[in-house]
Amino acid sequence: MIPEEQQDQAALYALGLLEPHEATAFESQLSANAELRNVVRELREAAGSVAFAAPPRTPPASLKERIMREIAAEAEERKVVPLRRRPLSWVPWAIAAALAIFCGLLAIDRARLERQLADIRGVDQLMQTTFFTLAPSAPAPADAKATVAWQAGPQSGVIRISNLPAPQPGKDYQLWAVDAEHKDPISAGIIRVDKNGVAQVRFKPVETANHVKAFAISLEREGGVPKKEGPILFVGSA
Amino acid sequence: MKQETSQQIADREMIARVVQGDQSAFRALYDRLVDPLYSLACKMLGDEVEAQDAMQDVFVQIWRRAGNYDPEQSSVFTWAILLTRSRIIDRLRARGRRLRVVAASTDDADIPITAGDASVAESAADISSRNESAMRVRTIMANLPVEQREAIDLAFFGGLTHHEVAERLGEPLGTVKARIRRGLLKLRERMQT
Repeated sequence: MIPEEQQDQAALYALGLLEPHEATAFESQLSANAELRNVVRELREAAGSVAFAAPPRTPPASLKERIMREIAAEAEERKVVPLRRRPLSWVPWAIAAALAIFCGLLAIDRARLERQLADIRGVDQLMQTTFFTLAPSAPAPADAKATVAWQAGPQSGVIRISNLPAPQPGKDYQLWAVDAEHKDPISAGIIRVDKNGVAQVRFKPVETANHVKAFAISLEREGGVPKKEGPILFVGSA
Repeated sequence: MKQETSQQIADREMIARVVQGDQSAFRALYDRLVDPLYSLACKMLGDEVEAQDAMQDVFVQIWRRAGNYDPEQSSVFTWAILLTRSRIIDRLRARGRRLRVVAASTDDADIPITAGDASVAESAADISSRNESAMRVRTIMANLPVEQREAIDLAFFGGLTHHEVAERLGEPLGTVKARIRRGLLKLRERMQT
């Protein structure tokens, strides 16, 4: 039998009402209690059904076509990105490859890495690239690594992460650009790691960031937030 | 765990095909989900045009994140509802509009529907099992004690935290937590009978 106080928390968790620190504490109880997980699932279904209390509305047919056009465009882009890109489309891939080398060498020999970077920067297209090494902090594992290659001109970059386990259910990792001209960090999107704890993702901040001082990764609610709320897992400057 | 319905199994199969990039499965999933998601968006945002923008955002998220769906945690329907609610709360927060929407939400005369309401009976007679479920939920909600319904309504549609609900209702936090818990448990029990 689940105690009443824990049921209170379960109901609030199912509705997504707990503060981030409360949710984290509750999730640690969840992971150790199958009965509690079952209660949460049932309460979540009940919470989902509350939506039916909204007065029924039907959207215009044009909405479906609008959405399907966007989906079709995304699907097409996934298929043909390597073939349809403009002549410089190989640049991000070149950055990603260089980044992979960078990450591997980081743990072994920083000096050697610097020489590699010097070589990489010799390539014209990478001249404008700035590399950021992000240091992990709890709750990220100490051996987790994150590195960002950033190009201010096109306002895009590539992040590579390793040794970072997937977040708890209902959470996502979110990348932030800390820019000298913005009061708050600028969201650069959600980062998803694979089952091996690795991610290599291209990103573009949601606002122009001409003077990036640092990048950071935080643990946020699933789907991300417009303004950072959760704990910082990585942060690092160039 | 409660046995899955055939609709829930079909939903899971659709999601699995969406993960593979199957646009026809996505189209079917859209047809299945759009009315309740859109109704929720209209209720929370109070503006149909903005609700349509929110729907575009939500369905693109469903397309991109179908691979994140975990059947251990919820049905596809509930996953989509909670995703929609979360995205809309982000919109409301970004625009600082939450309290205004909550005010509209609590004044909405559409929410309390009694079991004997004529419009309820008419709708239940002629539409699908999903709408029957909807009708059932609305009836159950309507028959919850008013203080429980009010707390759930503010939290779910208004996007308020439990602290904010307590402040708004002028009730102790523990009272509000208990009302939300009791209301959801009753909803769960009555949905299962």
